[in-house]
Amino acid sequence: MGETILHIIVWSVVTIGLYALVKNLYRRWPRWWLSPLGMTPVLIGLVVIAVQSSYASYIQGTHWLLTLLGPATVAFAIPLYEQRALIRRYWPVLLIGMLVGSATATLSSWALASIVGLNETLRLSLMPRSMSTPFAMIVSQDIGGAPDLTAVFVAITGIGGAVIGDVLLARSSYGSPMARGALFGMAAHGAGTAQAHRFGRTEGAIAGLVMVLVGVMNVLFLPLLFHLLG
Amino acid sequence: MARTARIIQRNAILQVAILFACWLTGEALARLTGLPVPGSIIGLAIAIILLTSRRLSVVSMRKGANLFLADLLLFFVPAVLAVLEHRELFGLLGLKVLFVILTSTVLVMLATVFTVERAIRWSMNHHG
Repeated sequence: MGETILHIIVWSVVTIGLYALVKNLYRRWPRWWLSPLGMTPVLIGLVVIAVQSSYASYIQGTHWLLTLLGPATVAFAIPLYEQRALIRRYWPVLLIGMLVGSATATLSSWALASIVGLNETLRLSLMPRSMSTPFAMIVSQDIGGAPDLTAVFVAITGIGGAVIGDVLLARSSYGSPMARGALFGMAAHGAGTAQAHRFGRTEGAIAGLVMVLVGVMNVLFLPLLFHLLG
Repeated sequence: MARTARIIQRNAILQVAILFACWLTGEALARLTGLPVPGSIIGLAIAIILLTSRRLSVVSMRKGANLFLADLLLFFVPAVLAVLEHRELFGLLGLKVLFVILTSTVLVMLATVFTVERAIRWSMNHHG
């Protein structure tokens, strides 16, 4: 019992402290490799390895943070509600984009994973990689993947997507702000939404909206579709 | 009543409590009804219903919600650390996974931007 409390205190302080540190560094130097999404887990991982601890002891101390993903998911209700005018106006366009985007994400992840010969757990864990973490972990669990692996793949997707999207859109003037925002929200969820805000207000708003809607849509329908197709 | 509302609007902790209440109600409903929808999503629906039916104003939840959303990353960092349990990913296998993720991401971007752009042009041509 005493040891558990010690784990909780030590690992919570390490996690929150390093997160705050990286977040502040990134605010001063916004380089992709300093992105808190990637750098925070890397630093914490180095600490865990350096003190010769294990993931089991780490997660025992920080599981309460994961539990907070529940109320954090509820918090998405507020941006959704605030963007209701955009939803009412553009829902058919956004719906088509999200359907095509989600289908592309799920099917191409599965197909590419099969081509390079990844095993079934990895294939299933890769399928929901293109949505915000709380939603992706729920879907992964539902379809028989490993939610913790999915969380890793979602983080890589976010960082990679924000960088790729930036390069693509900086070199091309294709697409309206709506389409460009949808690209970020669909392909790079949270990290992409942050990046989209740098291109413009519409881009940012649409990216955030698409990110949440894609998450909710996939949680509701992807497992169902998956079980129907057997 | 108006006074309670004002107290809630100032207090982010009370707002967090509202979010927790929505979440826990959602979890309870999911368990009671056996619906295949996660409790947190039902909680999200409850919050939206409260907002659209104007039983709660958005100012009485915004601060609390921002506490979560501004630092959403923090809540799933522990999950990402699971990669420590998968040392097999530090090597060729990891490169394969990286290839899958990045290639698929490019495909998703192209598919999304082209589809949305086409749909916008189509809807503009058909609705003036």
